[in-house]
Amino acid sequence: MIEKEGKEMEEIWKRSNHIAFIVCLTLLLSVLMETGQGIKNAYAGDVVVDPGKKVFGERCMVCHGDKGNGKGPAGIIRNSEKGGRILLVRPRDFTTGVFRFRSTPTGCMPVDNDLLRLVDLGIPRSFMPPHKDKLSPEEKKAVIEYIKTFAKRWKEESPCEAIPVKQPKYVGSRSSIEKGLTVYKKMKCWECHGDDGRGGGGKADKIKDDWGNPIPPFNFTSGALKRGGTPEDVYITFTTGLDGTGMPSYEDSLNEEERWDLVSYTLKLMGLVK
Amino acid sequence: MRNRFYFWILFLSGLVLLIFVLVAAYRELTPEWSGYQADYKNQLVTTLKDEAAKKKARSLSVEVQQLYLADLQRIDRCTSCHVGVENPLMAKAKTPLKQHSGDYLANHSPEKFGCTICHYGQGRATNKREAHGMGHETHWDFPVIPAKYLQSACVQCHDAGTLKAKGWDSVARGENLVNEKGCRGCHKLGGAGGVLGKALAGVGSKPIAYFPMGGVDGEKNTYAWFKQHFIDPRKLVPISEMKVTVTDEEADYLTAYVLSLRSGEMPKQFRQFNDAATTAPPSPTDGEALYKRYCIACHGTGKDSMFDEIFGRTVPSIMNPAFLKTADNKLLKKVIEEGRAGTQMTSWKAAAAGLTGQETDSIIQYLTKARPSDKPEVFGYMRYKADQKHGEDVYNMRCWHCHGKKGEGELGLNLRNPVVQGDDPEFLAITVRDGRKDTPMPPFGKNGLRLADQDIADVVAFVKTLGQRK
Repeated sequence: MIEKEGKEMEEIWKRSNHIAFIVCLTLLLSVLMETGQGIKNAYAGDVVVDPGKKVFGERCMVCHGDKGNGKGPAGIIRNSEKGGRILLVRPRDFTTGVFRFRSTPTGCMPVDNDLLRLVDLGIPRSFMPPHKDKLSPEEKKAVIEYIKTFAKRWKEESPCEAIPVKQPKYVGSRSSIEKGLTVYKKMKCWECHGDDGRGGGGKADKIKDDWGNPIPPFNFTSGALKRGGTPEDVYITFTTGLDGTGMPSYEDSLNEEERWDLVSYTLKLMGLVK
Repeated sequence: MRNRFYFWILFLSGLVLLIFVLVAAYRELTPEWSGYQADYKNQLVTTLKDEAAKKKARSLSVEVQQLYLADLQRIDRCTSCHVGVENPLMAKAKTPLKQHSGDYLANHSPEKFGCTICHYGQGRATNKREAHGMGHETHWDFPVIPAKYLQSACVQCHDAGTLKAKGWDSVARGENLVNEKGCRGCHKLGGAGGVLGKALAGVGSKPIAYFPMGGVDGEKNTYAWFKQHFIDPRKLVPISEMKVTVTDEEADYLTAYVLSLRSGEMPKQFRQFNDAATTAPPSPTDGEALYKRYCIACHGTGKDSMFDEIFGRTVPSIMNPAFLKTADNKLLKKVIEEGRAGTQMTSWKAAAAGLTGQETDSIIQYLTKARPSDKPEVFGYMRYKADQKHGEDVYNMRCWHCHGKKGEGELGLNLRNPVVQGDDPEFLAITVRDGRKDTPMPPFGKNGLRLADQDIADVVAFVKTLGQRK
């Protein structure tokens, strides 16, 4: 940038014989240095070659930071929930390679489609905007590949297979809700999420995420899950757990039917079924 | 054979009709109250020792009792069943014959006050279900008020100080909560308050039909509605934007308070106000108290900007030094007086939400306490020849994530609203360049995301056109 401007200056210098013009030019030098030449070369020195890096710089960096560590210029966002709780929303730190919203078993890396889904649909209530119409498929692919460069895990491990989800018909039925309630009690969901599902359980204040920040349990009455509001989304959360948070996977401790019953009960807590 | 058949049909239906007539007659001749009164007589006769008094008790006639209260324009027949309210002999009897608790009747004689002025209920009714207005689908307005909200009646004649001295402070506590939580930010009360919520004057005597009762658990009446609405407003009114977090106890105090907000006054001879003890509104020069009264519900401490899921937008931190550095008092006054159209920010001028100019100035003075002394670096917007088209490209690259594709705002400010559209472009340009420290708005200038000043000028020019775009 500075070199380029230097060249331009030389050219102008050669062309111009007017002393007054030179004086003016000297005066405006600082202004010129700052104004630049519009958006294309607004990022002085950044000759962007990698399209993923370019998209990341334009779309993601504001929150996730240059280094993908979740410490972008926007910083932590305060979110006041419908129930009155104030949540501190921290953008995902890509450098540890830990992802919450996966379709793969706990401890595994997510598959590309998991990341693509987040880029496409965004994460409601966490200020991750949807990019469905804003990026081309190539750009999305490129930015996902770029995100994978932040963490070593991506080189060392490969993703597991996605867990298939098919919603049985009985989900939301009265008997299923009742069974779900016993599961809710048996698995001590209430310890964190509270008896009423409002996230006010006894352990709620003590939970910390992998980065050492307090992470409040979900309040089922506050709206859709960040992952999405469908029964499938709830089911996959129970199955995969939310890595990096206090939410464990129940893939081994509950069978498929019990997990679906628990989905029925959470749907009731959310007020979606009676 | 056939004739016999019809004879029996006629005979049996006649018999059924006769039974109905007899039952109806029996019920008409032995109403609820007559049973209670007979019971009352029996109890008196067995308790009384003195023969003369016994004789007097035996001669009591069983009839509908009625209190005609000309001053209050009420007719109360409650004593038809609650026949022993004034009789000390009935202190240990069972309801409804029991004597009235406490010494209330010593100063509030039933002949002067009646019953329903404090207890509500249908004074004219002569059976329990209708008199109390309770039970499934009775549809009576103002059913008998639960004891925990009874104090809402006391404040119609007595001031908070007198009541507090006796330990009856639930309404006063409710009023304190209303002041602390800044309910006037949305509800007009006592002449001033926002317009986002319903005005609260007279809300305590609104009929049941005024409230959407669909989601109310249990008995569907105003008392239950208020309490449940304080605990979870959106359960009863799905579109409600009410921000309230209260404990169960606080919800009871608030309910007692709103129930005390009745239309009309008691006749003068009933009122016993000691004016000195009533809670006075804050002085128009006390900016802090005014801030708490009108602003705190949404803006909180004013130090942190916060996305509000109920409003679906960020409530700005109006006491953030970085904001105050760029925003002068003139702008603050404009925003307070005109509000922010398209957002929840009400117009607070005297003709709308009812703040006087002096009060607005006091609030501004309070807000700007932490204003830094240095001015922001001049941007010089007018020096640039702004290109809106290029500004749109910059906007689509940098701004829409937070401010929305059409500037409608989500995490970021709504850029379409008239106050922003009417803002000084210099102010907008400085904001884009320097960002807002301690808010999600990052600096986009050379110290931040490295937009060139020309780009900033372009994007400001584009933002200024958002108001007209669809």
